[in-house]
Amino acid sequence: MSNSLIEVNNLKKTFGGLTAVDIKQLGFNKGQLTSIIGPNGAGKTTFFDLISGFQNSDSGDIHLKNKDISNFQPYKIARMGMVRTFQLTKVFDRMTVLENLLFSGSEISNDSLFKSVIKSKSQKKYEENLKDKAKNIMEELNILHMADSYARELSGGQKKLLELARSIINEPEILLLDEPLAGVNPKLAEDILLLIKKLSNEGITILMVEHNIEAVMKISERIVVLAEGSLIADGNPNEIRTDRNVIEAYLGKDND
Amino acid sequence: MKISNKFLFAVFLTGFSIYLVFALNPEGASRILLNLLTFAGIYGLSAIGLNVHFGWTGLLNFGHASFMGVGAYVTLILMPHAAGREGEITSTGLPFIVALIIGILSAALFGLLLGLPAIRLRGDYLAIVTIAAAEIFRLLVRDLESITGGVYGIINYTENLQQYRPNFINNFSESLGFSPSQAWVCLVAWISILFTVLFLKRLNNSPWGRALRAVREDEDAVRAMGKNAVWLKLQSFMLGAGIAGLSGVLLAFNYGSLETTVFVPLLTFYVWAIMILGGVGTITGPIFGSIIFWVIISETDRLAFILFENANGQQLAGVRFLLVGLLIMALMIFRPSGLLGKKEELLLDVK
Amino acid sequence: MLDQLGNGLLLGIIISVASVALSLLYGVTRIVNFAHGEIIALGAIMTLFFSSPVDYRVLFLDKYSPLGYNFALSCILAVIVCGLFGALLEICLFRPLRKGNVGNIAVLVVTIGLSIFIRHLYLLFATGKVQDFPLELQRRQTYLFFDMTPRNLNVLIAGIVVMLIFGFLLTYTRLGKAMRAVRDSEELSSVSGINSDNIILITWISSSMLAGLAGIFQAIINDVRWNMGFLILLLIFAGTVLGGIGTSFGAMVGGFLIGILVQVSVGLPFMEGHTEAKNAVALAIMILILLFRPQGIFGQKERIS
Repeated sequence: MSNSLIEVNNLKKTFGGLTAVDIKQLGFNKGQLTSIIGPNGAGKTTFFDLISGFQNSDSGDIHLKNKDISNFQPYKIARMGMVRTFQLTKVFDRMTVLENLLFSGSEISNDSLFKSVIKSKSQKKYEENLKDKAKNIMEELNILHMADSYARELSGGQKKLLELARSIINEPEILLLDEPLAGVNPKLAEDILLLIKKLSNEGITILMVEHNIEAVMKISERIVVLAEGSLIADGNPNEIRTDRNVIEAYLGKDND
Repeated sequence: MKISNKFLFAVFLTGFSIYLVFALNPEGASRILLNLLTFAGIYGLSAIGLNVHFGWTGLLNFGHASFMGVGAYVTLILMPHAAGREGEITSTGLPFIVALIIGILSAALFGLLLGLPAIRLRGDYLAIVTIAAAEIFRLLVRDLESITGGVYGIINYTENLQQYRPNFINNFSESLGFSPSQAWVCLVAWISILFTVLFLKRLNNSPWGRALRAVREDEDAVRAMGKNAVWLKLQSFMLGAGIAGLSGVLLAFNYGSLETTVFVPLLTFYVWAIMILGGVGTITGPIFGSIIFWVIISETDRLAFILFENANGQQLAGVRFLLVGLLIMALMIFRPSGLLGKKEELLLDVK
Repeated sequence: MLDQLGNGLLLGIIISVASVALSLLYGVTRIVNFAHGEIIALGAIMTLFFSSPVDYRVLFLDKYSPLGYNFALSCILAVIVCGLFGALLEICLFRPLRKGNVGNIAVLVVTIGLSIFIRHLYLLFATGKVQDFPLELQRRQTYLFFDMTPRNLNVLIAGIVVMLIFGFLLTYTRLGKAMRAVRDSEELSSVSGINSDNIILITWISSSMLAGLAGIFQAIINDVRWNMGFLILLLIFAGTVLGGIGTSFGAMVGGFLIGILVQVSVGLPFMEGHTEAKNAVALAIMILILLFRPQGIFGQKERIS
């Protein structure tokens, strides 16, 4: 076993003959902000789906905190402290922003049918605390004024923010962010980027798939480059900037 | 609690439809009203259960009749009754309340069983599976004559409930010319509704209710938040099925004899119509929806007599169903939020 | 068991043709059409209406009936009426719903209402009684392993021929390719210059015509009833699901399998004395298929979930 927080070995996933992911060995260290980049169809989102349990790999294994999670259900992986967001933002459309956060922040035991019927004092108190916590996060992310709006009424960028807020309410150890800046206006993107940086400084391990190379270069401590499912480069932003494989993968595609 | 205009309108419409019963039936209006309110109570209860499935959790359940059926058959079979071609008498059995509880639990268990496919299937597939499972249930009940009485049905069980009928019902019914046994079933149905509504009101704004709504909105996101969406869906299936089971038992007591023709897919569609009319996702909506629905149903017979010179039973039933079909279509197209549903929470644009 | 095979093939051809129609419609429009059974019944009722002889009246249409047309002509007319009815449904109901961005689930509920409505229209205005086509009786004969009347054998052959032609059209003509393009992505195909409205209209028409034909088959083999379509609707769903929803070839094979399964299951030892429950076997198989291989036999995996 290595010291990596997340580690994959010989991970493989194909879709009807097309190789989506084929990674020999890749590990992520605690506390690091790593970006995963690569041309379209490089398998970045599939990689996220695999390690978060939303898809099963064909072969290979995935370890989280030295525990094999290869065939774990997504919710079990999330409970181990690794929370993801989605490329196509998934918020609970017909629930208010506050409800979105309360649901996400609430513990499993608090959600139980039995407790909800009894409505004990302790549950009420828990809910009060949760509400405060949610309000703090909304305030921090500047969406407090929309607390009672339905999530479907939010703009694309605000939905991304809400999804992020939802993901951090339970103080995860690891965040998987799938294109947190896609479709977000530049001003808001700046805010989100600052937030990500801040979360990273607080010690959360962050893996981020993002197309905005400028932003990636600015905040990442480490960059992993995938192309056609395989790992082609791995290093700090400066190394990646000058890596021949990377330039080929990107520019080669453009020149065709 | 703030009373909304929608709520006032629903109350008004319900009051108006009850008035209509009196206006259109110069004679025997109160008896007609009792009959209609009994059915409205039972179907309303069932629709409240369906709303837990569809309105709260987004589960497209078209096998609701089978939950009602399981509740009814299990309860009746456990009590003293007579079943089958020969009317074979089973004179021993559990007391009503024990049998009822087992019946409701069985319906919930059947809900769990039927919910299992829901683990993997999305909307329209689930609709097909549930309606097919309900058909299998119906065919089995028809076939297992030694237990369920098959096509000959079950009789001689009403005393199990009627023995608890309080005296005031007898006096009250006598003065108004009611059937006391139906008045008792009606009362029990509405008491059941009252408790079910109170129970669900408690749950609606609870963390559990919130979790169900989250499942309705996006299962993947629920999973990503570390919640077991499957278990939540199964719980929803069980709760709604249990409520349906109770309503099925009451329906059996209202009919007085139980036949396999009761739990056909059309029963499910009736309940759907009531739920949509009352408001998908609401708790009290189905109550208003059910009363208005049954007034429409019982007064359409008049329409049949206008359409046909001497309408026979088949034609009367035909006109009723014609209207049910039209009602479902028209509501879904023009007012999918029904009487009390919130436009913002509509499941309309679910793809 | 073998003596049930003939019956199985006959039920199979009805379900097969109807499943192909249902699957086509679902593939292109994503509508799970619960009113499909009613279009099937329309085919049978219309044929009865056109062909009924002098001493034979279709209830409530007796002002116009009996027309007493030649039976083959009646069938063709009935299929055309079904096609027109499908077009009517698309133009007056489903197109506006699509333009109004009404979701699939709402449309599914609408088709249920529609199904109840039309079915009881038949009950009231067409035929509340069980009726037969005015065809002479025939004796069963043995072909290979199975027994059936010569007319039913012709139905079987005609059904297979129709489906083969249909499959050919779908695979090799411009129109068929356009249909498949719309099926895969409505937006994409409208970009590439295909008028998806027209394609969907044609899909409705052809699906309804096929359904009407299935109804005629059902009526020849069995009889005409107002609820004949609803009675086999779930078996049609089963056939479609078994083959893989959205694939025409799958629906064709799945429909046959379900038909044979239903009839052959009558001969199974544990089914003795329980013939009423024969449909339950097919439905149970459908549920199992959905649980363990939701894409069906021929479907592609990504269509589900």
